[in-house]
Amino acid sequence: MTTPVPRVMVPGSVSRHEVFPIKAIIQHEMETGLRTDSTGQVIPRKIINGFVCRYGSVEVFRADLHEAVAANPFLEFYLRATESGRLEFIWQEDGGAIYSLSHEIVVT
Amino acid sequence: MSLTRRHMLTRTIGTAACALALLAPKRMQAADGVQDFVWRLTGRAATPSDRLRLVMPAEFSTGYTVPMDISIDSPMTKSDHVKSLRVFAPKNPLVEVVQFHFVPERSLPRVSTRVRLAAPQHVVALAEMSDGSLLMAKAWVTVATNGCL
Repeated sequence: MTTPVPRVMVPGSVSRHEVFPIKAIIQHEMETGLRTDSTGQVIPRKIINGFVCRYGSVEVFRADLHEAVAANPFLEFYLRATESGRLEFIWQEDGGAIYSLSHEIVVT
Repeated sequence: MSLTRRHMLTRTIGTAACALALLAPKRMQAADGVQDFVWRLTGRAATPSDRLRLVMPAEFSTGYTVPMDISIDSPMTKSDHVKSLRVFAPKNPLVEVVQFHFVPERSLPRVSTRVRLAAPQHVVALAEMSDGSLLMAKAWVTVATNGCL
């Protein structure tokens, strides 16, 4: 399995109170735990089970993902610009691994 | 206690009333079984609502990655907002798809993602609002291949 690589698309600057979109994607097989290998053994489940977005340390969006989310899970969501600050994106994988990114946003 | 005709009558009526009460949720369901599915899952009756929009292609070539857009009309104030949004695929081997949590005044109740579907089915979205109401929307999607294996 390849190492999950997260990516986000965020506008560099937005006006105060403006609503802006965020696209977040991570390369991940999202192994459902429903498949068997060539010897008949069940391939254990390994999915990204959670995603959190924090804006200036406040949680502003969260998703709980289950097996039925497609491989390379993609999320597009919308935030309201409050102040300049750090946006943090955190993906949680089965087994406890965490993948994260952060992005500074300028609010004018 | 003697069994009189009056006793028997009141008991019969009581039993019939109980049976009717138990059957009531079943009688409310639409022919597609979505209301029944929601009832079994949550123990609550959901209200089909135009405020909740679930947009998916009616036909899609692969069940591996079916696009899904959801939006909810809500002012997203502290007193009137969407508490959570859940999506289910009743014909998948595991029916839960995804759950979203929005924050009043900070995020909008609008998302897009891509999901796996095992078979042609009604996909069901349930939005729990801050006033305790449960809104429902469904979208029929025909997929050509099973996306769950």
